[in-house]
Amino acid sequence: MKDFMMIFVGKEYVDLGMSPEDLQSRMEKWFAWGAKMEKAGILKGGEALTPQIRRVTGKDRTVTDLTSAEVKEIVGGFYLIKAKDFDAVEEIAKDFPDYDLGNTVEIREIMVFDQ
Amino acid sequence: MEPKLLDHLFRHHSGKMVSVLTRIFGLQHLDIIEDAVQDTFIKASLSWRKEQPEYPEAWLTKAAKNRVLDIFRTLKAQKNNSPNITQGTDAIAINELFLDSEIEDAQLRMIFTACHPKLDPRDRISFALKTVSGFSIKEIASALLTKEETIKKRLLRARKAIKNADLQFNIPQGKNLQERLDSVLEVLYLIFNEGFHSNSKDQLIREDLCGESLRLCQLLLNHKETQLPECYALFSLLCFHSARLEAKTNLNNEVLDLKQQDRALWHMPLIELGNSMMFKAVETEYFSCYHYEAAIAAEHLKAKTFEDTNWNKISHWYDALYTLQPMPSHLLTMAVIAIQTKDYKIANAYLKQLEPEDLEQRAYLYYAAKADYYAETDNVDEAILQLDLALNTVTNTLEKAYLLKKNQLGYFSYNYFKK
Repeated sequence: MKDFMMIFVGKEYVDLGMSPEDLQSRMEKWFAWGAKMEKAGILKGGEALTPQIRRVTGKDRTVTDLTSAEVKEIVGGFYLIKAKDFDAVEEIAKDFPDYDLGNTVEIREIMVFDQ
Repeated sequence: MEPKLLDHLFRHHSGKMVSVLTRIFGLQHLDIIEDAVQDTFIKASLSWRKEQPEYPEAWLTKAAKNRVLDIFRTLKAQKNNSPNITQGTDAIAINELFLDSEIEDAQLRMIFTACHPKLDPRDRISFALKTVSGFSIKEIASALLTKEETIKKRLLRARKAIKNADLQFNIPQGKNLQERLDSVLEVLYLIFNEGFHSNSKDQLIREDLCGESLRLCQLLLNHKETQLPECYALFSLLCFHSARLEAKTNLNNEVLDLKQQDRALWHMPLIELGNSMMFKAVETEYFSCYHYEAAIAAEHLKAKTFEDTNWNKISHWYDALYTLQPMPSHLLTMAVIAIQTKDYKIANAYLKQLEPEDLEQRAYLYYAAKADYYAETDNVDEAILQLDLALNTVTNTLEKAYLLKKNQLGYFSYNYFKK
């Protein structure tokens, strides 16, 4: 088993004018997805991120404060899971609830340093 | 695994929160209130992903109370129109506003605000669905088969009217109550009809609108001053119609008329609820149009088969309804009933009083009725001509499919009693 991270990229709910009904149904899908991973014993962690960004860039360490509305896409959160390989994670990622919003799951493997 | 949340929990709570917060801060701060409530649900949807609270409703109510402080701070920072929340209103008083009975009271205030005469009648439904029912602009647009832009404009216009007239957030008293109640009942009736007659492919949207209308009508019945015969009558009518909602379309979403409907699918508990409400509704000298419509709906439900329908009784109720509410659509229905009972002379007399334009978008029903009339009186050429006219004017795709099917079968009789 290896460790992978699923990173969620795209639009934030706050910028999409979503209805309470829509929010509830998405929340329930997220909840079910998380519960499914937990039951399978593969979930190692995960967080949702707030839509505020403080960006520090360049050798002058220029600082810009941004919100999700001002960027094309934003990392909204991540899950850390255990899986056999990329294909296994791809299968799990099929339940991501926000594809219809144009949002994306990026699957990355956690690097292991062999001596 | 934790239990699934109540259906529409967020939507209903959104309406409750907006209403209670408006009662505290006033209608002039509706924008800020709606933003704060929206924010609460976004946060809940993110944090509940991992773990749902043990008592979700209590969680949301607590969140709403916290919003009181947030909004107060926002307004203070803006320094304009700072509400006099500190004048005699302490934390205990605010807590009381979050009691169930007070939440219902606040929601009623919002319904009555939505139906204020200062608001354009076209804007009332959108405003009510947004503020009382927690629908989004997109959901309202799809429910009313209108563009989102149009709904946005209607909401803006409604808010502007509320601001310009400096409307107070209350339930009118005395004579004003009766007048405003008429408008409230009409809006609830229209919301229901939008759902019931919608040709939206989305079955859920239709059920949601009908359900909302019933829920809001129930709020009126919970409130002492609005426990009135016409409110019971409307509630009863909505129950009777809702009982047939499932039987009204088949699995392919095709419209089924009363003749084709599987009467076993009619929802008995709703029919019984409608009946018991009707008993309360008739404790009065004066009958409203909802009384007559409910009586007609009840008569249809009483018949074990379509053939058992008591047309004479239905015709009698329609006469009374037409006297109270002389609308062309009632006249057309009376003509159709006369065709059913083979009173062709009477049918013709009714039809002669009508022009297709009288029925606006539903002119196809007029042509279909004429087609029926001619088919029954053995004038096949004229019947086909009228049916073609009906097909040319119908816009609702489900209805069109229904008419086409009749045409192919060479069966003209258009059945109207699917309403």
